[in-house]
Amino acid sequence: MLSRLDEGGYAFRFQAMASPCEVLIDCDDAALAARLGAIAQAEARRIETKWSRYRSDNLVHAINTADGAAIEVDEETARLIDYGAHLYRLSEARFDLTSGVLRRLWRFDGTERWVDADAVAAVLARVGWQRVRWDGRRLQMEPQMEIDFGGIGKEYAVDRSLALLAAAAAVPVLVNYGGDLAASGARRDGRPWQVGILDSDVRIQLRQGAVATSGSAYRYLTHAGRRYGHLLDARSGYPVADAPRAITVAAPTCSAAGALSSLALLHGADACRFLESQGADYHVLP
Amino acid sequence: MQLNPSLNAAALALLGLSQASAAADAVPGWTFEGATLIYSEADGRVQAAEPRFRATRNWDSGRSLSMGLTLDALTGASPNGAAPASTPQTFTTPSGNGSYTIAAGETPLDDTFRDTRVALDASLSTPLGRRNTLTTTLFASNEYDYLSIGAGATIARDFNLRNTTVSFGVNVEQDRIEPVGGAPQPLSRMPAEGEPRASREASVSKTVIDVLASFTQVLSPVSLVTLTASLSKSDGYLSDPYKLLSVVGADGEPLRYVYEGRPDTRLKQALYGEYKRFVYDRDAWTISLRLMSDDWGVFSQTVDTTYRWNFGARDHLEPHLRYYRQSEADFYRAALFDGEENQIGEASADPRLGAFDAITVGLKYGHTTRGGLPWWVRLEGYTQLGRSAGVPAEAADGLAKFDLEPELTAVLFTTGFRFGR
Repeated sequence: MLSRLDEGGYAFRFQAMASPCEVLIDCDDAALAARLGAIAQAEARRIETKWSRYRSDNLVHAINTADGAAIEVDEETARLIDYGAHLYRLSEARFDLTSGVLRRLWRFDGTERWVDADAVAAVLARVGWQRVRWDGRRLQMEPQMEIDFGGIGKEYAVDRSLALLAAAAAVPVLVNYGGDLAASGARRDGRPWQVGILDSDVRIQLRQGAVATSGSAYRYLTHAGRRYGHLLDARSGYPVADAPRAITVAAPTCSAAGALSSLALLHGADACRFLESQGADYHVLP
Repeated sequence: MQLNPSLNAAALALLGLSQASAAADAVPGWTFEGATLIYSEADGRVQAAEPRFRATRNWDSGRSLSMGLTLDALTGASPNGAAPASTPQTFTTPSGNGSYTIAAGETPLDDTFRDTRVALDASLSTPLGRRNTLTTTLFASNEYDYLSIGAGATIARDFNLRNTTVSFGVNVEQDRIEPVGGAPQPLSRMPAEGEPRASREASVSKTVIDVLASFTQVLSPVSLVTLTASLSKSDGYLSDPYKLLSVVGADGEPLRYVYEGRPDTRLKQALYGEYKRFVYDRDAWTISLRLMSDDWGVFSQTVDTTYRWNFGARDHLEPHLRYYRQSEADFYRAALFDGEENQIGEASADPRLGAFDAITVGLKYGHTTRGGLPWWVRLEGYTQLGRSAGVPAEAADGLAKFDLEPELTAVLFTTGFRFGR
């Protein structure tokens, strides 16, 4: 849906990947803005469809139901898997493409519902990138294991959409999918895009590059007096205690920004130390 | 520190890219700015024209180079430091080969004052990783009797997604002064025209070291605050070789004139705070306070405020109000009493070291053309009101008949433009 912005330009809004999505286009040409919005929407829907784990007609479903067989993947999926493997190493196994099955155990609804160790151990037996055979073309997992691109898909969609828009027209655009965003350049008048961070007074001035936020402002549970955010540590199967409520990271790409903010949350109280060690440009909501 | 290069490379590989189009704030290319200031003091005193030109090159990498040229042409008359007298006064020009005469009751002004200054500067800003910027600067300025060269370096670091910036800088400046007629001995008598003169140093120098630390914090989406603390140490020849003091009798009339003399070190400390707020999603209001004190006894306070009113998409008006108050230096003297010059080591009657209040009121109009090129004009009025200080008690009655602290008014007109890419 296209709407005019007070400060000039247009916003194109739609729903995808379970998030409100918008593209801000700084131009006076409504037809051009609508065309660019449609490009972004189509790309977001394509990525959602291709790697959703809730569908039974895509490659992810084929991989997850291969029952031990090797599945050959296309080049784009191979790049996503390579990236997930890189994050596995960078996070020292806290992040794991095969950890999605653990999420079914947990409900992060602000209550104190804890999961007992036996249940976690049973599911953890089906998790572990080190047990996956991946040669850059073919992926082979043990039966019962599943792969899930949920942790990196949305940021990838932001980067991809921005690249398509930048190639389609030389107007300043900002892509914002559920708070993960990237911009192609400053607005026409040279001013940066102004972006607020959820639940905070901090305002980001974004001209070029990307910003991603990971947080558990609403999705958390408490246990024994400590607060646990919704991200699960793939090594233990448990959520991480005492992490900041939200971490926002700026980076050249949304994929890198999203990875850093998520991995930082997985470091709990050490989030800032991790971000410093990565040379990240970040803001933390404690 | 740079963002983890392997993660950066992995994210780019995910997008099928091999290298980043690095995040840069400024649009790559050249930008040119020009401005001219016309400064005019009332009653035929100092008139100055100061054209300035600046060229800035920004690169994709975030690096930028900025080069500036300033020309400064001054004419007119400035106070030579002597007090008014009831009879005409004759002063020897600095070269010793000429003289000028001031009418009775008038503030003595040296109208041989004429100068052209050329100043050049170049600074290079280099990002060090995503969060640090190193800026190195070289500058030089030259007048017929003055050469100044300097260099500086500032390192700035961003925190909190650039909501906080901390910077630390050092500047070193070396000046060489070759006064017309040489540098006179402090508090020595001004010889009459043609009178043989004691030998003088042809060349003197000074060194200035500045250190500053600054902190900028975004307070909210619409406001930010900057705090800066600075320390400045000057060593060497800090006097004005052309400034005099009257040595007067009990009647306040001059007996002779002596050259001023200032301490050869000066340590200044300054604190600066600025608050900027965006108003009505359209305008910007800025207010700042500066406090400065030094070991010469000068203490000054400045309050400065501007309001930028963007009344149209491409037009703005900006009223400006500034108030400045300064106390006099410990060695400031409106005049010296007979014999006092032999008992003290330092004295100056330079009005800039006296006690005064100054008010600046101005208005700027700026316009951006349809093609996106901004230009602006600004008109300001400056009034300086001296407060009586440094009057020798023995001659206070005699000097009371003169206006020792005449009001100074000046008009400043500036116009500028920018174009780029």
